[in-house]
This record gives sequence, structure tokens and C-alpha cells, in this order.
Amino acid sequence: MTLKQRRRWQLTAVFIALAIASAFVIVPVLWMFSTSIKTIEEMFSLPLKWIPDTVSWDAYKRIWTDYPFGQYIFNSLFVVSGATIISLLVSCLAGYGASRFRFLGRTAFLTFLLITQMFPSIMLLIPYFKLMKTLGLINTYGGLILAYVSFTIPLASWLMLGYFESIPKELDAAASIDGASRFRIFWQIIMPLALPGAAATAIYAFIVGWNEYIFALVLASDVKMKTVPVGIGELIGQYRIAWNDMMAVALVVSIPLIAIFLYLQKYLVSSLTAGAVKG
Amino acid sequence: MKQCKVLARAILILAFSLSFGLSLAQTTLRVMSSTIVESPEGEVEQAIADAFMAANPDITIEFIGTPMNDMFKVLTTNAIGGELPDIFTNTPEFVAQAADLGIAADLNEIFDEEFLSGFYPTTLEEATVDGQLLLLPWFTVPVGVLYRADWFEEAGLEGPQTWDDFVNAAQTITQDTDGDGQMDRWGFAMVGTKNGSGFFRFTHLLRSQGAWELYKDDEGNWQSDLGSEGMVNALRIYKELHDGGLVPPGVTETGYGEAVSLMASDKTAMMVTGPHTIGAILEQNPELEGNIHSVPVPMGTDRSASLGIGGFSIAETSENKEAAAEYLKFLVSTENMLEWNAVTGRMPAQIEAGDQPQISGPIYAGFVEAITIAKPMPQAAFYSQIQEVMGEAYQAVLVGGVSPEDAAAQAGEQAAAIIQDAQ
Amino acid sequence: MVSQPEELKSKVSSRTYIDKTQMAGLWFALPAALALLVVVAYPLLYGFYISLFETNLLNRWDFVWFKNYARIFTSADFLGTIFTTLKFTTGTVAGQFFIGLTLALLLNTKVPGRAFFRTILIVPWLFPEVVVALLWKWMFNPLYGLFNDVLLKLGVIAEPTSWLGSTETALPSVILVAIWKGYPLVMLLMLAGLQAIPQEQYESAEIDGASWWQSLWFVTLPNLRNVIMISLILNTVWWFKHFAIIWVLTQGGPITATSVISIDIYKTAFESFRFGPAAALAVVVFFIVFLISIGYQKLLGERQ
Repeated sequence: MTLKQRRRWQLTAVFIALAIASAFVIVPVLWMFSTSIKTIEEMFSLPLKWIPDTVSWDAYKRIWTDYPFGQYIFNSLFVVSGATIISLLVSCLAGYGASRFRFLGRTAFLTFLLITQMFPSIMLLIPYFKLMKTLGLINTYGGLILAYVSFTIPLASWLMLGYFESIPKELDAAASIDGASRFRIFWQIIMPLALPGAAATAIYAFIVGWNEYIFALVLASDVKMKTVPVGIGELIGQYRIAWNDMMAVALVVSIPLIAIFLYLQKYLVSSLTAGAVKG
Repeated sequence: MKQCKVLARAILILAFSLSFGLSLAQTTLRVMSSTIVESPEGEVEQAIADAFMAANPDITIEFIGTPMNDMFKVLTTNAIGGELPDIFTNTPEFVAQAADLGIAADLNEIFDEEFLSGFYPTTLEEATVDGQLLLLPWFTVPVGVLYRADWFEEAGLEGPQTWDDFVNAAQTITQDTDGDGQMDRWGFAMVGTKNGSGFFRFTHLLRSQGAWELYKDDEGNWQSDLGSEGMVNALRIYKELHDGGLVPPGVTETGYGEAVSLMASDKTAMMVTGPHTIGAILEQNPELEGNIHSVPVPMGTDRSASLGIGGFSIAETSENKEAAAEYLKFLVSTENMLEWNAVTGRMPAQIEAGDQPQISGPIYAGFVEAITIAKPMPQAAFYSQIQEVMGEAYQAVLVGGVSPEDAAAQAGEQAAAIIQDAQ
Repeated sequence: MVSQPEELKSKVSSRTYIDKTQMAGLWFALPAALALLVVVAYPLLYGFYISLFETNLLNRWDFVWFKNYARIFTSADFLGTIFTTLKFTTGTVAGQFFIGLTLALLLNTKVPGRAFFRTILIVPWLFPEVVVALLWKWMFNPLYGLFNDVLLKLGVIAEPTSWLGSTETALPSVILVAIWKGYPLVMLLMLAGLQAIPQEQYESAEIDGASWWQSLWFVTLPNLRNVIMISLILNTVWWFKHFAIIWVLTQGGPITATSVISIDIYKTAFESFRFGPAAALAVVVFFIVFLISIGYQKLLGERQ
């Protein structure tokens, strides 16, 4: 078999594998969609139907009319974008610093990052609330942003550390010979090469913040401040679950997420160019 | 000229005092409610609040909607953080904790006796801890048995009065109606999950067998009957219903919602639940209108009933207690209670409302009786742990292959240990 | 004084440039350290503190020394719960790792439609945990669930099975849902890491006649080592502490088949309102997880 034929076989196999994997994702999501267009009466009918007898798009209307999801989406977008940007900046700095400099307390710092992740979050609820109350940040965008930044910095910093480690340190040295300041080296030389890592980290931070529920519920319970997950939580009543509304909401709010992912995707796959090392 | 200046100053001072006075007079009541985010409850509650605000322009009601599943988490966190609203949802499950935290005001000091005597005494009893009335009962969701009157009539059955009746009815009704070899109609939608919905239903079976999961004896010590003969009987009944194939598959994952769907989709004939479920069933299947009747919880050696109260507490730290009291009085007025019941199916805790024909008619008959014979929930901080033990016991019998005797024995031991620990 | 570039290069080697300047490192790390110290250190210390009390955190504080811890270690259930948690964590992390890594490798090829696949495959992660759990709870339903429907039609099972309701299948089912929800993150991290591997290494491996398996083992994995290690450590930490999906699916049932430690903590704190013992449990979890992460570092050879 020629190399070209072998490559084609391989790619076909890869395609099929990816298609099967995608099926495991698509089928449940289609079920979500099918649920969202059912009426409550048809929700639990047997035999199972993918397309209900009465197709009802009311759930998609109710999202905007019966619940203030427009407000919720705005709140989520604002808080989570803010938290992602801040978290990304801070963790890039931290990751770079830990990668390039063996400063005093470096190991302690890195371990501290990990340690903050090890405590069960449910027990952090009350102290976080007290802290935010003291800082006057209850029911504010700032309070949630601060909380989400604190959740995402540890992994984000470790990730960026890892990605920076894979960028040769000779680049820094070469740039410093050319007289660049440390910050400039970081910002203009190294960061562009770390974009895939930064993109992955940004996506991670965004999704974590976007889907976070319990802290948003407790720290921002004012109706004007609620975020999307809290809004979705309200669809789970004491005695009934609004299945169709919930699936409709989940699908609708995943659209901005997919959009953001599509945008950041191109950074994910930019690769290191060879020959970047001078000298 | 001098007079003009004096006049001008006087007017200014008057204007300032008026606006100051007016702003002082404007009261905002913050109400943390679980029902405001539910549908259709939320619409009715908001309408009642709007009517109150229209009648009282100096009071503004601001709702903080919190789902019931998270209510007490949020409330506890807020209490500890010092951020309590003026009024908050409270139930007998949480009232002991509220007392412990000291966050609920004693309503005996806020409402007069005449007003309070308008409530069913059993409801006030459940709302009282150490002589302090900590929540104002708003509605009750008593428990009985809902059953398919049409199927029962076909089979020549009457609404079950005893557990033997119940099991017999279940056996008669469980059948394969379309002859495809697969059972598709079962007698009973058992809620076998290990959560509040499951615990609460099993508790009624247990108490009807003369055993109480937790109670104070005559010396004032906590006791549990989880190791008793009554418990063994209760577990035996559950086992019989399950092993006899009288319940649909997956009983330990059938929660309240799933059971409602089973009833609505013609899969099961009976369900132990409250009157609000009728509405939920009809919502999913309007054709069942008129086909769902109720009886009280079947009798074993005893009758059992519970109230399922929902109500509001006024925060101890609230600065607007009088305004809060006014709002609550309005909320539980007969007119509003009838509207509430008509839309949500939840029943009033107030005697005058309960006497209205809308409530005392045939559909709710079983439930009304329940209110008067109900016994209050045990008020102990460790009650939820006892419930856990109970839940593990019935699940062990249902799917764990453990015999009722062994499960009861173990449950009894564990309950005793919990009580011991709590002293 | 002006030196020639060659002279400078020999003086300013990459090594001295980096080791020499400790202050710079501290400055870079400062924002992160500060943010975390302010926001996380207090809650952590608070948690440790209240574990020494029997308290409702408001008006009742009984100092009980280490009684809460003693109770934990003498309780028969504790070991069982930890064991269940370990089973859940291992299953979930391993599953996510293998699936995530495999998909990343597949996506890293020149297969047509890879942008489309990348987007589809990340979707499970985009939904909130509660939505995913409810969706799967329903799909697993014995009578109305899609899962049983498909399996019955395919003839794999003979009658409706209660996946979440039987003690043997509950934990695997829960793990399946957790894997479905969480593999995209692993896939994403691996994918980004794969981008950093220089093409020359693959090319030289190919020239040496390496098969794809050898190229995977000797080129790809070593380069991914840091990313693999950090994602394994953090994934293990997270899923060990996990709560939401299991809570919605089974509440820790049936009986105790899916009772992981976070459910215990939650019930102790917010159903029994015993914050002291709950905090003690949380502290114990903290130390267990800490030990696990040290284990990982020893095993995978932390290369600082």
C-alpha cells in the first residue's frame, strides 16, 4: 500500500471513530430538543416519540416571557466574561513567572494553588458569603466575578505554567539580548506562542463560571442579579419539573457558548512555528 | 421682605420634613419565598402581593425567589452571614433549626389570640417550638391516597380503607392489558427514593402500623420504633408490593415527579400523596378529570396523617414586623386562600377557609379529615438522620435483598445510636 | 561600554537570565497569590477552625477539640463511603482521560470536518451539571427512558431495567454520566497540548520508521507529560469532591451504592445542620486528596 493510500485509510478510520463518538453526543442532545418541543401532556407518553403529535414551540417563547432569561443571560455574560478575562491575565502572569523564574517560595506558591482546590466547595459556601458581605459585594457583579476568579485561577495558572514550559526558554534569553524588558518579553514574544494554551484556559474559565450554580444562588439572589444556572434551577419546583422549558433554556443558552468556542477555536489549533529561536 | 424670607424658610423646612417623613413611611418588605418561583403558585402569590401593595401604598413587597430544594441552604447561609430578609418561607422540617439559630420571631407576640384561633390547632402545634410560634401556617398539603376511580369501579373495588384492601386492590389491578407479555398496568406508584418524598410516604405506612420513627416518651426522652414489630410489618408490606410485581420497575428511582407521571400516563392506579398532585396529574392528562378520588391513608392498627404545612416566618432581626404581620394577615384571608387553593390545590390551614364548600366537597374529603387527625412532626435537630436510616432500611428490603426483620433490627440499632449521640 | 553580540551571548546565557532574577518572578506571581490569599485562604482557615466545634455558626459554639474527627474515624460507614468515592473517582477520571486523549489525538489529524467534530464533541461540557443529570436520569428511566427503549429494541435486554435503582448498576451508570459531562475538558487540554509538540519530532520519528503506536508512546506522550499530569491531578481532585450529578441522579442511593463523601458532607451540613462534623469531614477529604496528589507527583515524576 502506498503512503498516500495508507493515509487515506487512516483518515477514514479516524472519521468513523469521530462520527461514532459524535453520535453519543448528538443523540442525547436531540432528545433534549425533542423534549423541548413537547407539551407537558406528551412528555411521558409511551411508546417513546421523537417527534410529538403536537409540536409546541411555546417553551422557547416562555423563556423570554414567563421568566426573565434575557436578564439572566446578560448577567451571566457580564460576570463570566469579566471573570474569564481577569483570571486569564492573572494566571498567565503567574504561569509565566513560575515557568521562567525559580523564585523563593515558588514551590509553595504552586502547591498553594493546588491546595485551594482540595477543599469541598459546599463548606466554602458560608465563609464566602461572610467574606462577600464584609466586602459589601453581596448581590453585585463584583462579588460573583471575584468568586469565579478565585475558582479558576489555580487550574488556569497550572495550565499556563505547563504551556509556557513547552516554549523554549532560549527565546526569552534571545529577546533579552535584544534589549527587551521582562514584561515586554512576556507580552510580545512569549504570549503569542502560548495562544493555544491561553485559548484552552479561557474556554475552561468561561465554562466553569457559566455553569456555576450554588455560589451564584447564594451570593446573588436578587432577581436582577441572577445568573442563567440559577434561573434554570428555578425550573425545578418542589413538586414538578418544567422539562420542556428547561431543555429549551439549556439549548438556547448553549448557543453563546458554542459561539465563543467557535471563535476561540482558531487559537486552539495554531501551532508553534519552527525556527522561532534566534541564533 | 423679612416675612418672605421666613415664609420661604418655613416652606423649605416643611418640604424637607415631608419628603423625609414620606421616605421614612415607605417600607420595603423583603420576602424570601419558595413558592414565588413555582408555577402556577408564583402567579397567585404575586397577584396577592400586588393587591396588598395597591391597598397599602406605603409598603413595597420585594420577593427573593429561592427554589424549595435550596431554600434552607440559602436561608442558613444568609442567617449566618447576617443578611436575613423580613419574611421567609418556613416549614416544620426547618422550624427546629430556625429556633436553634434564633432567627424566627415569636408570632404569639405579634398576632393576637383571636386571629390565631382561626387556624386548625394541629397546624399551630407543628409550628410551635418550646412554646414559641415560629411560623404562620399558610397552607397544608395533607396526605392521603389518590386512586383511579374509573378502574376501581370496573374492577368492583372501593377506595381502600385498610392496607389489606390496598394490597388486594393493587393485585387486582396489576395486569397486562394489551396482552403483549409485558406488564403495563400496576396497582401502586411507590415512591422508593431515599429523599424527603420517599421518607414521608413510608412514614405514613409506618405510623399506621403503630410505630413511630421518632417521638418523645412520657419522661421526655426521644425514642424510636424503627426496630419494632410495626416497622417489620411496614417493611413487609413494601416488600409484598414490590416482590409481587405490583409496582412498576425501578422503584428506588421513582421519585415524586416520576410517580405523578405514572399516574397521569395510565400506568398506575394508586399513589400516596397530597391534593396538589391532582392538579399535577390533570395537567399531564386532562382527560382524567373526575376520575381521581381520594381516601385517607389506609389503616393498619392506627390511622396516620400529616399536615405538610408551608408557611412564613417573620425574621427576628426584621425592623418591619408590623408591616410584615399586615401582609401575612392579608395573605391568609379566606378570599385569598380560596383563590390559592383553586389554582394550586394546596389546602388552607385556616378553619374559616376550610369550611367553605370549595374545600369541604368530595374531592378533598379525605384530605380535610387528615388535617384534623394529623399528628405533628417530631421536632428534633437529628430528625433528618433518623429519616436517612429509615430510607436505607426500606431500600435495603426493596432492592438489597435484606429481610424485613434484619433491616428493622439494623435500623433500630442505628436510630438508637443517633439518639444517644445527640444527648 | 558596548560589547559585541557574541560576547554578550556568552555572558547572558539562558540559565543566568532566569535564575538571577527572583524579584521578577515574585512580581509575576503576585496578582494570583494575592487574589487567592484574600478570597480562598480565609474560607479554608474558617473550615479548619469550625471543625473543632459543635456549632450552628451563629449563637452556639461548643469547643469539642478533635471529637468530630474521632467520630469520623470510628464510624463504620466512613471507610465504605471513601471506598465508594474512590471507585467513582477512578472510573470517572480514567474514562475521561482515555476518551479525552483518544479524541484529542483523532482531532489532531487532517481528517475532514475536524472543526465540526471539535465543536460537537465539546457540547456535553457546555450544559450545567443539573441539566445533564436530569437529562440522563430521564434517559435511564425504566419505563420512559431512551436507554431502555434502544436496548430493548436491539434485544440487548429482555425487560425494562432500572439502571439507577439497582445496587449493581447505579454506580456504573453515574460514572457514565460523569464521563459524558467531563471528557470534553480533558480533550480540550490535550488538544492544546498537542499543538505545542514540534512537528520535527514526528518527522524524525517517521524517518526512523516508527509506527503510529511508537510515535505515540515515544513522541506524543512524553511531550504531553506536564499537561497529562496536571489534568489528572486536578480532575481527580474535582471528581473526588463531586456532588451535583450524583445528588440529582440518585441522592447517594440505592441504599449506599453511590454515596460519595461529598453527599455525606452536604447532608451533615445542610440537612442535619451540624457544621462542625461537616467541616471535619471536609478537612479529612482535603487531606486524602492532598495525599493522592502527592502520589500522582511521585508516580509521574514531577519535573520542575
